[in-house]
Amino acid sequence: MCVLLVLASCSNDDYQPISYDNPEITLNIPEGFPDLNITATTNAPTTYGVVLGKKLFHDKRLSADNTIACASCHIQANAFTDNLSKAIGIEGRVGLRNTPPIQNMAFMQFYNWDGNKLVLENQPLVPIITHEEMDSSILEVIGKIENDQEYIELFNKAFGDEAVTNDRIFNSIAQFEYTLISANSKYDKVIREEGVTFTKSEAQGYQIFKDKCISCHSTELFTDQSFRNIGFPINTDSEEGGRSRVTREVDDYLRFRVPSLRNIEYTAPYGSFGQFNTLKDLLDYLDNGVVDAENLDPILKDNGNKISLTEEEKTHLISFMKTLSDTEFIGQ
Amino acid sequence: MKNFKKYLLLSLSTLAIVSCSDDDAPVANNVTLEFNNTFGNETIVLGNANSTEATTNTSAEGQIHHFEELKYVISNIRLIKEDGTEIPYNVNDLDNGATVINQAKTETLQYVLNDIPTADYSQIKFGLGVKTSLNTLDEVSFPNFYAAAGENDTQMHWEWGTGYRFTKIEGFYDNDNKTLSFHSGSTIDEDPDDTTGESFIQGVDAYRDITLNLPTLATVGNSAPKIVIKADLNKFLSGDTHTITLVTAENITNNATPSAHTATEMMRFVDNIGGTGDTNTTGMFSITSVEN
Repeated sequence: MCVLLVLASCSNDDYQPISYDNPEITLNIPEGFPDLNITATTNAPTTYGVVLGKKLFHDKRLSADNTIACASCHIQANAFTDNLSKAIGIEGRVGLRNTPPIQNMAFMQFYNWDGNKLVLENQPLVPIITHEEMDSSILEVIGKIENDQEYIELFNKAFGDEAVTNDRIFNSIAQFEYTLISANSKYDKVIREEGVTFTKSEAQGYQIFKDKCISCHSTELFTDQSFRNIGFPINTDSEEGGRSRVTREVDDYLRFRVPSLRNIEYTAPYGSFGQFNTLKDLLDYLDNGVVDAENLDPILKDNGNKISLTEEEKTHLISFMKTLSDTEFIGQ
Repeated sequence: MKNFKKYLLLSLSTLAIVSCSDDDAPVANNVTLEFNNTFGNETIVLGNANSTEATTNTSAEGQIHHFEELKYVISNIRLIKEDGTEIPYNVNDLDNGATVINQAKTETLQYVLNDIPTADYSQIKFGLGVKTSLNTLDEVSFPNFYAAAGENDTQMHWEWGTGYRFTKIEGFYDNDNKTLSFHSGSTIDEDPDDTTGESFIQGVDAYRDITLNLPTLATVGNSAPKIVIKADLNKFLSGDTHTITLVTAENITNNATPSAHTATEMMRFVDNIGGTGDTNTTGMFSITSVEN
């Protein structure tokens, strides 16, 4: 054993990795956004950390059979979700829920539909090991990439030495995700008075939004990050409990995190398991009346289990929601 | 660094092999924990829906049931000397201090503790499940336990919660053999990062600390004692804390549900089998005998 240790130390000491300058990336906090999460500052994105995270995000070797990358479901053109009702992992395995978009994560307090993760760095392991997603393991992933010269170089550049570790994988993916900030939509430009104005329909839609939607889709993130049951068609999968899966409280049964409306034009289908193909379908459903439940949100209960909207109002609302599209963000 | 780790692992495994070969003779400083999973006094025989051999049980509420699968995690084992001194057994090392008891695998029903200091012991403590600080599915730190718990026929990973399943019971209930499925695990999570400046904690802790007095002293050193621990699964539905009626999964707001995936009632089962953590620290467990 001693001999082996000596050998190991020798080979380590002989080697001097080249050190690189790896400056931090300044995250510009858009006007009106909340403060950055503390982890976005303690695990602050660096130039090479983000390059590494982005490479890992797109690497199919993170899945057991090398067919699925994070980016397979989190597609930039769809604001980093896909156009499927439920996520599809390796071997066509169908997951429980609709893939959430990845945007403005540096400002979010809860991740996923049920808010099971509170710290972004703790999230990447979930898809890596989940049977219906990548069905791999972190040692399997490390084994696949630790002898890859490009990775060795990037780990060195990002973290100061060549060690390929689980924490570095999670941290760099989170660093990449922290840089995915969307705040350059038409709406933002109008609010910032950059010489852009709403059309008549968009302006009317904005007013309707403020009357009927903003209690949940509040703040510049367009979500108040609360968990609510708004009576959408129920996912009958026995795994689904909504927020109660985390809290084990009856009150939280089938409550879900209010999703952001940013880039909603690109994130169809809508709902926790893609119940609605179009925004029109979703608004029609809210207008017609939702599924009743003991814990149905009081705002709906007080309004006869519906959000009444005329056809004209729906058209205007959709016009407004499309002003939240950030073409730069989705890479157009 | 990674090379160093590899060599270290290699060296450690070499050491382990050496130690193993030394262990051929019975070692007086071993303590064997033997788990006997029962309904009352009858050792459980597993079986599928139509099995005629499976042990059936009837709950306090009159519901007949039997199991097809029965697994639980034991960790954080401590032996307590007569004078009250606690001897922890690899309590922060899941690879060497935790195990999955699986009724379908006889070899898992005995768990051998090595190198226990010579003394007379009057009490044993252990955890049902994994304490929160270690419950992170950390394959890098504990590759062996991670692998053992994750095997296809074991399935004790709770992927979405990045923790271990503490209990997995699959079975059937009522005369029409409706499916019974109970999985427990912790969902507790802390966000040190909350913008309010205070950490935010959510979820439930399903880990339970069990304390059992030994009816006779376990004399380690002179002999290698065997402690026979009974887990009476009758308490699963008919516990000291809760009397549970199984209902269909659609009826979640009722007394309980046999499907733990959606179970808002998971903690009632946990209290029954693992105790409440305060007034009840035995749950379904008791000591049958200490064989010195």
